Amino acid sequence: MNLAPAPALADASAFATAAEFPSGRVPGNPGIWVGIFCVLVEFLLLFCVYFVAKAHYRVAFLTGPDKLATIAGVAITVLLLTSGYCMVKAVAAIRRDARRATALWVLLAMVLGLGYPLVKFFEIRWNVAHGIDGQAGIFYTAYYYLTLNHLVHVSWGLLGLAWVGVRTLLGVYSPKDYGGLEAAAMYWHTTDVIWLVIFPFFYVLR
Amino acid sequence: MLRTGHAERVWLLLVVLTLGSAWLAETGRSGWPLAMVVAALIAAKGRMVIDHYMEMTGANTRIRRLLHLFVTVVPLMVLLSHGWSDVLRRLTTIG
Repeated sequence: MNLAPAPALADASAFATAAEFPSGRVPGNPGIWVGIFCVLVEFLLLFCVYFVAKAHYRVAFLTGPDKLATIAGVAITVLLLTSGYCMVKAVAAIRRDARRATALWVLLAMVLGLGYPLVKFFEIRWNVAHGIDGQAGIFYTAYYYLTLNHLVHVSWGLLGLAWVGVRTLLGVYSPKDYGGLEAAAMYWHTTDVIWLVIFPFFYVLR
Repeated sequence: MLRTGHAERVWLLLVVLTLGSAWLAETGRSGWPLAMVVAALIAAKGRMVIDHYMEMTGANTRIRRLLHLFVTVVPLMVLLSHGWSDVLRRLTTIG
């Protein structure tokens, strides 16, 4: 395992390429990857439950997405993807030692990330007003269970972003030492990857 | 070397693919073509986040492979559960 920090980069508007990092580098720190793979295994098991329920209740899963507000799912996806983009920029900024820009990108990522629970709140209110609660059928039970479980994990991510945002303002991170910031970004991107699976499961796939 | 604007292009493509998914959702389609498109979108978007947002190209091989495995297995599960739902139902029926 290579834990060496990445060298400072010249341009925050782009990703780094393989040639600019030590080969086999572990982004963030090894600890965060233990957590990330635990989360991925947890959701993989939940997806198995989804597939089994779908196989047993074909009609419920065929008609279920029709009643959900697709716009809410799209809004959450765009918010998460844009928030993830901000964290890419934050990591690129700290590599250039642009600490103020780093803090601003982390703050923007947080603000966009907070849009997720807000959209979820209005989505659930809309659902309940249309008779879609946890008792509305197996499809909606699975929908609430998976999406709210994901929201819990996003909440941990938001706390992580707040933590690294404060530490950035305190000047803890530098181009030579930004493992904590990058670890938070890795976890945040993982919640993106998981949502990119959940979104089509409940809003698109029939 | 670094590619200026690459992050923005990846973000834009991810958003465009999401809007494409929303359009598909609104058409109310079902069946094999939809399952295949959804599986492809999960794989493509997942790979984009892993390779570009998480900068996994050139990172630790084991981590990269496990992440890639996740966005390969899930789309395969989408296809298998769609095509062989009867088998899955039979295997998971108690009694």
